Amino acid sequence: MFKYHRFEKVRKELENIVGTGNVFTDTAELLMYSYDAGMARAKPEAVLLFTSIDQVAPAVKILYSAGIPFLPRIAGTNLSGGTIPLKGGVILNLTLLNKIRQIDTVNGIALVEPGVVNLRLQTELDKFGFFYAPDPSSQKVSTIGGNIGENAGGPQCLKYGVTSDNVTRLEVVTPEGEVKIWSFDDPGPDLMSLIIGSEGTLGIVTRAWLKILKKPESVKTAVAAFSSVESAIDAVARIVGAGIVPRALEAMDKISLNAAKKNLKTDYPPGTEAILLIELDGESDKVVSKELRAIMDICATCLSTYFKIAEDPAEREALWAARKGAYPAMARLDPNVMVEDGVVPRPRLPEALKETRAIISKYKLNAGLLFHAGDGNLHPNIIFDERDMQEVKRVRKAGYEILKSCIRLGGSISGEHGIGVEKRVAMSWMFDAPTLDFFGAIKTAFDPKDLANPDKILPVAADRRAKERLFEHDLFSEAVNALIAELRLRAVGGIKSLIRGTGTKFPKNTAVFNAKPLDTRALNKVLDLDRENFTVRAEAGMPIRELKKWLKKDGFDISMPDLEGTLGGAAASKAWPPMRDILLGMDVALADGKILSLGGKTVKNVAGYDAMKIFCGSMGAYGVILTVTLKTTLKAGPPGEVKDPKAPFKPEDHHRRLKKALDPENLLNPWVYES
Amino acid sequence: MTKYDINELYDHTQEPFHLKHLLTDLGERTIYDAVAQCNRCGYCETVCPTYMMTGRETISARGRNQFLRLLIEGRTRDIGSAEESFSTCLLCGACTSVCYAKVPTADLVLEGRRSGAGYGQSFAARMAVDMLLNKRPFFELALKAGFLLKRIGLSALAGKLGLYDFIGMPALKTAQSSLDRAPLKFLRDIFGKDASLKPEGKKEISWAYFAPCGPNYVFTEVGLSTVALLKRFLGEGVFTDNFCCGLIAYNYGRVTEAREFAKKNILRFEELKTLFGDFTVVGDCSSCVAFMKTYEQLFTGDEEWQPRAKTFAEAVKDILEVLPAERIKGRSHDAGETVTYHDSCRACHGQGIRSEPREVLKKLAGKSFTELPESEWCCGGAGAYAFTQPALSERISDRKMRNIASTQAKTVLVGATSCLLQINAGLKEKYPSAKAVHYSVYIDDLTKQLT
Repeated sequence: MFKYHRFEKVRKELENIVGTGNVFTDTAELLMYSYDAGMARAKPEAVLLFTSIDQVAPAVKILYSAGIPFLPRIAGTNLSGGTIPLKGGVILNLTLLNKIRQIDTVNGIALVEPGVVNLRLQTELDKFGFFYAPDPSSQKVSTIGGNIGENAGGPQCLKYGVTSDNVTRLEVVTPEGEVKIWSFDDPGPDLMSLIIGSEGTLGIVTRAWLKILKKPESVKTAVAAFSSVESAIDAVARIVGAGIVPRALEAMDKISLNAAKKNLKTDYPPGTEAILLIELDGESDKVVSKELRAIMDICATCLSTYFKIAEDPAEREALWAARKGAYPAMARLDPNVMVEDGVVPRPRLPEALKETRAIISKYKLNAGLLFHAGDGNLHPNIIFDERDMQEVKRVRKAGYEILKSCIRLGGSISGEHGIGVEKRVAMSWMFDAPTLDFFGAIKTAFDPKDLANPDKILPVAADRRAKERLFEHDLFSEAVNALIAELRLRAVGGIKSLIRGTGTKFPKNTAVFNAKPLDTRALNKVLDLDRENFTVRAEAGMPIRELKKWLKKDGFDISMPDLEGTLGGAAASKAWPPMRDILLGMDVALADGKILSLGGKTVKNVAGYDAMKIFCGSMGAYGVILTVTLKTTLKAGPPGEVKDPKAPFKPEDHHRRLKKALDPENLLNPWVYES
Repeated sequence: MTKYDINELYDHTQEPFHLKHLLTDLGERTIYDAVAQCNRCGYCETVCPTYMMTGRETISARGRNQFLRLLIEGRTRDIGSAEESFSTCLLCGACTSVCYAKVPTADLVLEGRRSGAGYGQSFAARMAVDMLLNKRPFFELALKAGFLLKRIGLSALAGKLGLYDFIGMPALKTAQSSLDRAPLKFLRDIFGKDASLKPEGKKEISWAYFAPCGPNYVFTEVGLSTVALLKRFLGEGVFTDNFCCGLIAYNYGRVTEAREFAKKNILRFEELKTLFGDFTVVGDCSSCVAFMKTYEQLFTGDEEWQPRAKTFAEAVKDILEVLPAERIKGRSHDAGETVTYHDSCRACHGQGIRSEPREVLKKLAGKSFTELPESEWCCGGAGAYAFTQPALSERISDRKMRNIASTQAKTVLVGATSCLLQINAGLKEKYPSAKAVHYSVYIDDLTKQLT
C-alpha cells in the first residue's frame, strides 16, 4: 500500500512529462515487466514509456526526489536479472528512443539513441562500408543501451575490443536527474568508462557516440576440427603466440556440435571433440591468405583432423552456422537454457573446460560448451526445465561452481553478461571487503539515495555473509609494502603526500601544500610476463621506456608510444588516453592504505565497476597506483601523439564526490582538488 | 506425456471448447508445455509488429506467451487484464518463424482469448458461425442483398438496415466501401453449374478447387483465375463444393463449430477420394489454406478424426506453391512497370511459402520484379483486426505502404484476401498509383493467351 501511494503522489507530474497514455500501472503491464531473459522475478510499481530523450532527465529528477527506485530497460534480454526491479519502483522503458542520429564516416563516429538494436546499426553502417565492432550473439535483438549497460563483447572483440573500447562519449542522466556528457579523453578521471558496464546503477545513457570502423578489404573464414579439446586450445595459444590476431577465434565442443548438426552441411570426421572457427581480416587478400596458411600449419601441428577454408560468402555463412546454430539447437532440447559466462586467462582454458565438464556431470546436467577461445571466455549452455525446482537448484549450484573454478584459475565471474542479481553473491568470492566497499563508495557517490537500479552488482548483506574468498592478492614486493606502510602511517597522522615518480608531472611549487613527497621510483620491478597470455604485470614506478626495453629482449612490446615517465604516472595523468585499450588490471593503495585489486589478466571482465578507469586521469588524487597489468603484443608500439600531461583539469561535481569518498581528508596530491 | 499437468486457464468443463493439444514444431504438446518452451530470449521482439510499433512488452509475442503462462500456472487469475495483450495480437506468426523452438504464439494467444469471459459469445460471432454452418442459403441471400444495394449506390443503407450485423460480418460495413466490385453471383453458383468441374465423367483428377470465403463471396475473379490456372498447368480437376474452412469460427473462439466445419470438408474430401484416389486440394486464400493444413490440431485426442484430418491436411496446397515454375510460360510483364510481392502472413509464417511464388514471378516478370522491403511485415489486415484494432492496424499498414512506395511498384501481389482488402484500402488513401492484386489473377492474366 505504501508503495502504491508513493507512486500516486508523483503520477500527475510524470504524466505531464511523458503523456497520460504513457504511464502504466495496470496489472498486465506490471506483470510483463517483472521478468527478463534470466531467472529472477520482481514486479515494478509503474512503467513509463518514453517518446523523447528530453523526457528522461525530468522524470528521473522527480523519481529521485520522491525516493522511488527506477531502472532503464529496453529489449529485456539480460541474462543475469539486471533489469528486474528488486525494490519495486519504476521501469523506464526506453525502447522507442531508437534513432540513429548521425553516421559520420569522416571522423568514424556514430551517434545513436539507446534503443537502437545492435544489428540495425550494423545494417545501416554496412551501407557506408563501416561496422561497429561489438557483436554480441544477441545482436539481433539487444540494443546499444543494453550493450553499454553490460559492457557487451562478442566474437570480434578479440581483435577490436569490447564495448568500452568502442565508445568515445556518452550522454548520461545521473540518478539525480542531471544531464552530463562524458568522454574517455576528457581531462581528469574517466567517468565515461565507469558508466559502461554499470548496469544502470550509476546513471542512464541517453546518447552514445560510438567508434565505427571501415570494413576490412578482405575477410576469410576457416574451420578446423580436433580430436581433443586440449589440442584445439593448444592451437589457439599457438595462433595468438605467432602474433596473429584473428577477428574471431571461436570454439565449440562435441555436444554443442551434435546439437547444431542437423543444420550443418559439413560433416566433421568421426571422433571430433572440438572445432575452432577462425576468421581473419586485413587490408588485402594476400596478407590474410598468408596468415591463414600459417594458421593451417599451426592446426596441422596440433593434430587437427580437418581444415576447411570458406571459398565464398555462402560457405562462410555455412561455417558460421555451426557456431551460431548451437544455442538455438540447445534451446529446442529443453524449455530453458542458462548461458553461463565465465572468463579465465586463455592458457588456463583446458583446465577450465575440464573442471566445467566435471561440474556439469556431477550435477547430472546437460550442457553444450561454447567459448570465445581467443579471449578465454566460456559459455556453457546448460539446458533445463525451470518448472523442475530440483533441476533449477542443480543448475544454480553448477553455475556457481563454474564461476568459482574460473576465479581459482585467475579469471572472472563475468565476461560480458554482467552481474545483475544472479551473480551478486559471487562478487564476494572474487573481491575482498575493501574492494567491495570501494565499489559501494562509487555507487554512493553517484547515487546517495540508492535509487538507480538498487541491489544490483554489489552484494547485499546476505550475500556478503556467504563469504568464501577464492582469489588472493599476489604478494607485493618489499618496496610496495614499504610504501603502503608509509601511507598508513601518514594517514594516521593526517600527513599529506605528493606522489612522485620520475617527476615529469610533478608540480613545481610544492612547498605551498604542506605535504611530503611520496616516491614511487622504488616500485620498479616487472612482476610477471605471461608469454602465452600476452600480459605483463609491472610495478607502477617503472619507467615506460625501461619496460618497453625490457620487453623487447623477449620479442614483446606494448601498444604505447615511448612516453617519458612511469607506468603509474602515464595512467594517472592519462598522458595517452588510448592506454585504456591495453590496461587490464591495477593494484591501488587508497589514502588510508587499503589495497584494491582491480581488473586482472583477462581481456574481458565485467565483474563490478570498471573502476580502474577512474584512476586514469585521477592525477594521483584518488589513490596510489602500485602495479599495472598490460596487454602485450609482438608488434612495435605506435608513435601516437602525447597530450600535455599538465593540461588543466577542472574537477566537476562527480569528480569531487569520488574524491570525497576515497580520500575525504585530501591527503593525496592535495593540489589537484585545492582550488 | 507431460510431467506438469497444470491448467488454471480454464475450468475442466470447458475442455471441449479448447484444443486438447497443440501440434508444435517439437511434436504434440499440452498447452502448458508449449508455452513453457518460451525461454524469454526476446528474439520475437525483432519481428513482432505490435511490439515494434508500441515498444511495449505487454503487446509483444514474448509478453503474450508469458501472460498465458502465468494464467495457466494460476499465478495471476485476472484474465481480464490480459485483454489488451491478447486482443492486439495480429496472429501473424512472425514470432514463431524466428523462434528457435517455434513456440506457436498465435495458437496460444487464441487459447488465451477463448478463456476470457464471453469471448466468441458476441452476437456477431454467434451469427456468423451459425449462418455459415447451418443457414448458408440465408447468409448468401443477405449478402447478395447488401451487395445489390451497394451496386445501386445505396451501400450505406445496407449498413443501416443491419444486414452485415445480422450475418455476423459487421466489418463488412466499412470494408465493402473499398471494394470495386460486389459480386451477385458467388463462386459456388458459378462452379456449381460448370460441367467441366464436376466429378461426373472423370477417371482421375490431379486437383480439387476449394473456394475460400474471400474468393467465394467477395473476390470471385480470384477463384475464376485460380481454376483457370489449375486447368492450364495441372490438368483435370473438380470443384469441391466446400464449406467455409472454419477459420472464422476458430478465430472467434468457437472451436467446436470449427470442428464441425472441418468435418464437413473432410467428408467431402473423402467422397472425392473414394472416386479418384490421390489429388491435391488447392485453395487461393493463404489464411484459409494455412488453417486447413492444421486441421489435425483441432482433433488432437480424437482417435477417429485426428488421422482423417491429418490425411486431409496433407492433401491441401496453396495456389502460391503449386504452379510449376519450370513449365510456366507467358507473355512478358509490361516493361517498366514494377511488380512486387507481399508475403501474406499465413503463407510465409503459416505455411513456409516463400521461394515458390518468387520463382514463378522472376520467370514471368523478369527484371520488373522487385523485392518488397520487409515483405513479411503484416499488412495489418489480419481478418477482422483492422476493424477491432483500427489505430494499431493503421500504423502497421502505414509501414507497409511506405515500403510499397519505396519500390515504386504499380502492382503488389498478395496471396490472401484479407491482405487484398487491407492493402488496397491503404493504397487508395496513401499511394494510389499502386494496386494490390491476387497472385492468381496476375499470373492468369500473363499466361492466358499462350495456352
